[in-house]
Amino acid sequence: MNTIIYSCPYVPAEWIAAHGLRPSRIMPEKIGPPGPFALVEGLCPYVHSFVNEVLTDKCACGVIVTTLCDQMRRGFDVLVRRCKLAAFLMNVPHTWQSVNAQKLYVDELMRLGRFLVRLGGKSPSDRALSEVMFEYDAARASIRAARGHLSARRYAEAIAGFGRDGPSDVPRAASGERVSVAGVPLAIIGGPLVRQDLDIFDIVEQFGGRIILDATETGERGMPAPFDRRGVRDEPLIELARAYFDGIPDASRRPNSELYKWFKNELAGGLVRGVIFRRYVWCDTWHAELCRMRDWVGLPVLDIDVGGSRETHRQRAPNRIRSFLETLQ
Amino acid sequence: MTEFPRQIALQEWDRRYDQLHEAGLAEPSYGGPISRHIEDGDTRLLKLRYDNSAAALRLWNFLLTEEDRLHKARAEGRKLVGAMKDLGTIPVMAYSFNNLTAFYPDGAWWIPCVMELNSGLLSVADKLGIDESFCPVRAMLGAFVTGAHFPIPELLICSVGATCDDFSAIAQRLNSLGYAILWWEIPHRRHPEPDEQSVNLPGGFLAPKSQVEFVKSELLRVKDALEELAGERLDDEKLSAGIKRANLVRAYLAELRRLVFTAALCPLPALEMLIAEMLAIHFCSDQNETIMVLKCLLDEVTARIKKGAGFLLPDAARIFWVNPVADLQVMNLLEQCGGRICGTEYLFTHALDAIPQDIPPTEALAQMALADPMAGSSADRAARISADIRTFGAEALVISRIPGASHCALEGQVIGEIVRDKLDIPVVELEIPPLTDSIRPTLRTRLEALVETVRERRKK
Repeated sequence: MNTIIYSCPYVPAEWIAAHGLRPSRIMPEKIGPPGPFALVEGLCPYVHSFVNEVLTDKCACGVIVTTLCDQMRRGFDVLVRRCKLAAFLMNVPHTWQSVNAQKLYVDELMRLGRFLVRLGGKSPSDRALSEVMFEYDAARASIRAARGHLSARRYAEAIAGFGRDGPSDVPRAASGERVSVAGVPLAIIGGPLVRQDLDIFDIVEQFGGRIILDATETGERGMPAPFDRRGVRDEPLIELARAYFDGIPDASRRPNSELYKWFKNELAGGLVRGVIFRRYVWCDTWHAELCRMRDWVGLPVLDIDVGGSRETHRQRAPNRIRSFLETLQ
Repeated sequence: MTEFPRQIALQEWDRRYDQLHEAGLAEPSYGGPISRHIEDGDTRLLKLRYDNSAAALRLWNFLLTEEDRLHKARAEGRKLVGAMKDLGTIPVMAYSFNNLTAFYPDGAWWIPCVMELNSGLLSVADKLGIDESFCPVRAMLGAFVTGAHFPIPELLICSVGATCDDFSAIAQRLNSLGYAILWWEIPHRRHPEPDEQSVNLPGGFLAPKSQVEFVKSELLRVKDALEELAGERLDDEKLSAGIKRANLVRAYLAELRRLVFTAALCPLPALEMLIAEMLAIHFCSDQNETIMVLKCLLDEVTARIKKGAGFLLPDAARIFWVNPVADLQVMNLLEQCGGRICGTEYLFTHALDAIPQDIPPTEALAQMALADPMAGSSADRAARISADIRTFGAEALVISRIPGASHCALEGQVIGEIVRDKLDIPVVELEIPPLTDSIRPTLRTRLEALVETVRERRKK
C-alpha cells in the first residue's frame, strides 16, 4: 500500500487511511544524523533530522509537511528542491478562536484529499471515513487506557508505534498489571522526540524518577480529542477537524492559552513533582515558553535543550536529570 | 540641490547644519542638528556617515523624533495602534481613520544598534527568557516592559501564520505578560491548483482566490476592532482614500528607488535609502510628513542626477541586498568597500508595491498582505529578487542574515541557489548582529572580496 509520511500531529491519519493510503507518522531516528542535508547554524535539529529522514526514505510515495513552525515550512522548500517524493504543505492556522481559522483547516483537509487522490487514493464516502475514524478512536482509547499498565518508555513507544503503523497492533487496554515503579513522578513537555530520545524515560527511572505524563508533541499531548460518536455519524470530516484542530493544544497556537489549560488539567491529580521542559536549540516557539512555564507551573522545571550534537546531549542530559532528581528526592 | 554631495560624519554635520541655516534653511517643527539625538543615548549615530543634504537632514530628524510624535498624538487625543509583524498592511487601514496613529513596535529591533546596547532592552528580554538565540526584535519586549521607547498602544494587532517563529513567540510572551493582542492570520501563500481560481497579487506573485478571501475576512475582524477603538466607521470610501494616500508614498519611493538604483553615479547613499524605504511601512507615524520627506529626497536625487553629481566611484560594484541589517553601519561599510546598493528586498516589498485601486479596498489590502515575501516560499522570494536584480542591473547578491531569525537558517541557501542558477552572479551570505564592531574586519574582507569578484567578472 502507498505510504504517506508526516510528523505533524495536526495531520489526521484517519483522513489518509480513508483514502486507501497508509499513513505513517515518522519519528526520526536521531538528531544530527549524517545525511544529504547538512546541519547549518540556526537550524532546528529536529527539522534537520526530519528533512534527512524524508530525503533518505525509500518506501513512501508522498510527504506532508505543515506550517506549524516556520523552520518546518522552510524545510519544505528544501524538500521541494531535493526530494523525489510528492510533497504537500498543509496550512495549519495558528489562530484558532475564529470560525475563519476552523474553516481554513477544513478547507486544507479537502485540499489534502485532492493531493491524496492524485497519489492514487480514492475520495472516501462519509461512511468509509466514519469507519476508519471509529477504528482509530478505539485504538487511541486503548492506548490511553494502557497508561499506567506500561512503563513510561513503553507507553511512549506505543503512541509512536500507533502513529507509524496505525491501529493494527496497539496495546490492549488494562491487559496487564499496573506498573509499579517507585520514584519521583515527573512530567515531560515540549516538541517532538526522536527515537533515540526515548532513552530519556529510562534515564529518569535510572536516577530515581518516573515520567507519569508525556506532554511532548509525540506523546499524549499530540493525540486528538476523542471523537463524538454522533458527530462522526453526521458529519465525519467536521468531527475529524474538531478533534484535531481544537483538540491538540500546542505552544504555536495564538494565543496558546489552551496549552496551559490542558497542562493544568493533566497536572490536577497533584502527583507530578517536577517538569522536564525539553526543547530544541533554535526552536523559538518552545524556548519562549520556558520562562513562562517556570513562573506558571509552581513546580521545579528542568530545561533540557537539545542541540545538533548527539554526543554532547548524551553526556549532558543524564547529568542534569540526575541532579534534578536529587533535588526532588 | 546640495552643491557638493558628500558623506560626512556627525561632527561635521553640526557645521553643515549652521551653513544650511545661514543659507536660509527652513525646517519643520521636528528639525534641529542631528547631533542632539546623542543626548537621547543614540550613540551609534556618532559612527555613521551621512548624506550632507538638507533632504537627508529632514529624513534623519523625522526618523529620530518618532517617539515625540507618538506622545504628541496621544496628548492630542489620538488613539495609538501597535501593528506587529505584517509590515505595511494594518497601518494603511489605521491611517484611514481620522483619529488613529499606527506604528510598529517591531521597530525597536534597531534600538540595540542605535544605542549601542546601552538601552538595557536586551537584558530585560533575557530576564523574560528571550535570550540571544532570538532575533534582535526581542528588544521590543524590553521596550514594552520599560515603557521607555514608545507609549504603550491602546490596541495591539499581530499577524501570525506564515511569519517567523521568533516574532510570533516574542509576541506570545508579551501576551503572557498581560498585553492583550488581536491575532490575525496570514496563511502560507501557495500556488493555485490547476482548476483553482487565482489572483495576480501586487508585485507579481500568484495566489488562490480562496486565500485572498480568507485574508480579507481576517482583515474585516481587524477593521471591527479598529472601528471600536476609533469610535468611527470605516467605509469603503474612507479606506480607498487611505489606500490612495499610501500609494502616493509608494509612488515616491518607487521613483526614488528607480532613480537611485539605476543612476550612473550613486545619487543617494545606501543608509539614507534604507531609512527612506522603512518609511513605507507605517509612515514613521505621520503619513503627510512622510510624503514631504520623500518629496524632498526625490527632488534632491533628481537634481543630482541632472547635474551628474553623486557619491562613490562610477565603477562601484552594483549590489542587491536582501534582508535589513541589524547594524546600520554596515550600509556605510559596503560603500567603503567599493560597493553601492542597486536593489533591495528588506522583507517588505509588499509595502512598496502599489496597492490596487480598481477593486474593493479590503480585497486590495488582502492582496497586499498576501504578497508579503515572507508569506510564500523561499523560491517565490528568489524569483522576485531575481526579477528585481535584472531590473536594477545588480551584479552581485548579498543575503544578510538576521541573528537567530527562524527564516534565516534555510532561506539564504535556497535563495542563493536559485539566483545563482538563474542569473549566474556571485552570492554572499553574511550574518549582521546589532553591533558589528568586533567582526568588522571579517565583514570588510568578505565585502571587499565580493566587490573584487564583480570587477573581475566585468573584464570577461
